[in-house]
Amino acid sequence: MKALRTVGLLLLGALVVLPLLWVLVASLKSSREVVSSPWALPASPQWSNYAKAWSEAGIGSYFVNSVVVTVGTLAILLPVGAMAAYVLAKHPFRGSRTIFGAFLGGMMFPNLLVIVPLFVLLTQIHLIDTKLGLVAVYVAYSLSFTIFVLTGFFQTLPDELGEAAALDGATDAGTFWRVMLPLARPGVLVVAIFNAIGLWNEYNLAKVLIQTEPNTTLPLGLERLTMTQHYQSDWGALFAALVLVMAPMLALYWPFREKIAETMVAGAIK
Amino acid sequence: MSRPLRRGKTGFVVSFLAPAVLLYAVFVVYPLLQALAISLYRWKGVSARKRFVGLENFDKLIHDEAALQTLGNAAWLLVFSLVAVFVGGLAAAHALNHKGRVARTVRGLILFPQVVSIVAVAVLWEFMLHPDPQMGLVNGALALLGVKAHAWLGETATALPSVGVAFVWHALGFYILLFLAGIKGIDGETMEAAELDGSMGLHRLRTITWPLLWSVKRIATTYLVINVMNVFALVILMTNGGNPDRHTEMPLTYLYEQAFENSQFGYATSLAVVDFALAMLLSLIVMAIYRKNPVEGRR
Repeated sequence: MKALRTVGLLLLGALVVLPLLWVLVASLKSSREVVSSPWALPASPQWSNYAKAWSEAGIGSYFVNSVVVTVGTLAILLPVGAMAAYVLAKHPFRGSRTIFGAFLGGMMFPNLLVIVPLFVLLTQIHLIDTKLGLVAVYVAYSLSFTIFVLTGFFQTLPDELGEAAALDGATDAGTFWRVMLPLARPGVLVVAIFNAIGLWNEYNLAKVLIQTEPNTTLPLGLERLTMTQHYQSDWGALFAALVLVMAPMLALYWPFREKIAETMVAGAIK
Repeated sequence: MSRPLRRGKTGFVVSFLAPAVLLYAVFVVYPLLQALAISLYRWKGVSARKRFVGLENFDKLIHDEAALQTLGNAAWLLVFSLVAVFVGGLAAAHALNHKGRVARTVRGLILFPQVVSIVAVAVLWEFMLHPDPQMGLVNGALALLGVKAHAWLGETATALPSVGVAFVWHALGFYILLFLAGIKGIDGETMEAAELDGSMGLHRLRTITWPLLWSVKRIATTYLVINVMNVFALVILMTNGGNPDRHTEMPLTYLYEQAFENSQFGYATSLAVVDFALAMLLSLIVMAIYRKNPVEGRR
């Protein structure tokens, strides 16, 4: 029984890791080696694939765009989401449950369903095909999950802490920034990592809201690259680009894997 | 819990909620309401004229074979992934429900396919399934067994199942974790009692674990409905948005094609409204099916 389980686990691990490892190996092959045998190892590692992917294929500038959009979104999303979550958790009022419910509703529906009106709206306010527009939309569509998790987190903090701060003469806002938010740091961190992964990889909305090269984020850039590399048959650089897209998120995920798994499941079971 | 209302309290609450509520209202709620309105117009592109046509788009939709085919494809993908997720997810969760180091490491690995970009997943599987056995790992492996190569994504019989494989590879980790949480939630006493009664292995799975996981199965099914409705990037990239001959066309890829390739804004939005309504309806049906705790009735 035990041996069977171990074999099963190794098989499961291999199923996940082997395709990714295959990409990593292919990223170090020459284009000729890529089309000669899927199993062979590179004769000598072609590090130049990475240089080519980064500069010639434009992955470098897409990478920078993705960093700007992801960091920009988080910089707005985290304070805005935390403020709202704090009020909903610690200062409930008549109607606050309705507001909370409205935010939760956004967690479930496929956002491409509103893509036409969203495209029209961004065109009207001249934010179509801009990083700022993309950031605004990303913040709005990340609020549901962020507020859901952070509200739960603030609810676990004891009320006495806020009351003590109030007795010391702190305002409500002061209590939040100086006492409660620092206490909620572990929750905010998980939410930040979680959102960062989703934002870095976001494709559906960007596909419609971004149109030109200078604003292209990594997932869109990777799509463009697959098309051009098909013509040029520069497979090595394409695989290197894949690694450049995937590796940062895997590195970000790994130290937080248990917290992230916990948050995902808790969010689903609620 | 009532708190004394201090002066400035309303101001505090409003100022803290306003940014989130405003952003959400403008970019989420408003477009959602707009969608209902736009679906009643014939509207070609942003600048062109817009004409109210009532339910014309919906009438067109129920006679649009391509639109109906996307629903059929989505239904097929849902069934395919339900079976894969329930069988594979439950088996994997059982294997992972242990303290050993291997189990812990694999538990960390199973979310990898979800952490990497869906575009990367699509490109990766496109290459894995490459028709040339010199290039694609799948055909390469089959060649070793003496099976001849297939253009998995190009043949009508295998295209949708191939997309399904990539989809399940990408999504499975989350469902494994869900089942794992469910199994852990079954209290130890129940399991021990079952063991004392000599209920082991498949028998225990059938009589104890499976019925007790009813709430997890409900969540998993609801999430799968939504995940399948959301399939977009995989099809855009793996089969060029629905090839061969719309055999892999999904509701969202068809919507995208209508809106941004054919500039049929009104029609595309009516598709969105119907797809959304169907997904909601299906979720409600799933909720109704799994509503009752099946174990309680039997006590």
